[in-house]
Amino acid sequence: MAKVRDGDPDKLGLLYERYKRPLLGFFMGMVRNKELSEDLVQNTFVRILKYRHLFKVEGEFRTWMFHIARNVKNDHFRKNKIVQEPIDKQAERIGHSETRATELQQEEDEELLAIAMSRLPEEKREVLLLSKYQEKKYAEIGELLGCTEGTVKVKVFRALQDLKTIYQQLEKHY
Amino acid sequence: MEQHNIIELINKYERGDATNAEILLIEKMIEQGKIDFDSFPSLIKLDETINRKADPSPSIDLDHRFYEMLASEKSKSKIVSFSIPEWSLLFPRLALACSILLVGFLGGYWFHKPTENSEVKQLTQQVEGLKEMMMISLLEKESATERLKAVSLTQDINGPSTKVTAALLKTLNADPNINVRLAALDALQGYSNLSMVREGLVRSISQQDSPLVQVALAELMVAIQEKSSVKELKKVLANENTPKEVKERIKKSIDVLI
Repeated sequence: MAKVRDGDPDKLGLLYERYKRPLLGFFMGMVRNKELSEDLVQNTFVRILKYRHLFKVEGEFRTWMFHIARNVKNDHFRKNKIVQEPIDKQAERIGHSETRATELQQEEDEELLAIAMSRLPEEKREVLLLSKYQEKKYAEIGELLGCTEGTVKVKVFRALQDLKTIYQQLEKHY
Repeated sequence: MEQHNIIELINKYERGDATNAEILLIEKMIEQGKIDFDSFPSLIKLDETINRKADPSPSIDLDHRFYEMLASEKSKSKIVSFSIPEWSLLFPRLALACSILLVGFLGGYWFHKPTENSEVKQLTQQVEGLKEMMMISLLEKESATERLKAVSLTQDINGPSTKVTAALLKTLNADPNINVRLAALDALQGYSNLSMVREGLVRSISQQDSPLVQVALAELMVAIQEKSSVKELKKVLANENTPKEVKERIKKSIDVLI
């Protein structure tokens, strides 16, 4: 990133190739719409280029990138009402998948979890996604959220607790 | 809290029997780093499922849009290749350079009273003279491309001298290449308000053997309403070698002029 900042935008291609999937995963988790998520990924990289002079060498690029990604996402939520796939539609999909005897259990778990995630409040969903994509580096997540490492751990714990409750309810239902 | 009490508390939580106060206690211990998530099998399972989920694959369209944006940024940075830190270094130097320039101007003005108008005029005349010389020498070249360049140079000359217009008329009448002759005609059109040019153009009509140039000349005569050209145009009409289509066009021009 330092090279991009110092006038070699070509190097951003490498960073894009490395982080496009995690970034898309983060946005998909937040807005649950692939097309929109891709727009947000593009916007994130546009801002990275625009504000490249603000990147500090001593900081980690990934944390800085997620800081920008969160701003992009917040701006989007502010400007638009969130377009998300209705829960019923998602649940319907799960119902179909249950009828397929050969469906892998793991796939079902993941789909059920995706529904449970979608029912979490935005803040909790975000902290779980950041925990995944920042590879459990809670100090860095703390930097992003403006709180201590300990507070991040408590936030993750609470989010997982809520997720567990929703997940168990869904398991009973389907 | 003792280790075995912590384990008991975790087990209670896992069974779903923990009270709100006990959950708060667990949170406090997590915050202080006394308990880790690894201690809660039910939460770990969920966390693992979240992490196991493969990241989605971006579409080709996203790649396309990104690299398009990058290419456009690269082309911009080629034009403006300075950044803020560079500016901060450059600014004092620029300020110094501007001050020296200003002092130079003021000094020059003080020691040398302004006679700039006449000097500028003189310089402009010299430049125009150079351009004319260059144009005339290019017209002598063997290469038609060079001669075309010479003709197009006349567009840069303000108020061309008789030398230039004469050279253009000569080209119109004698250049072996039709394109060069047509270009010369095009250049002369701009000076058709000069009587010398108008006369030259009229005389040129009967000297042309190219139908293209003949038609272009006839049309120009209509455009500048040069009635004296009718006689010359009639000569072309009378010529047996003039193609039928050209004759028709010239006849129309004559009708308009008369």
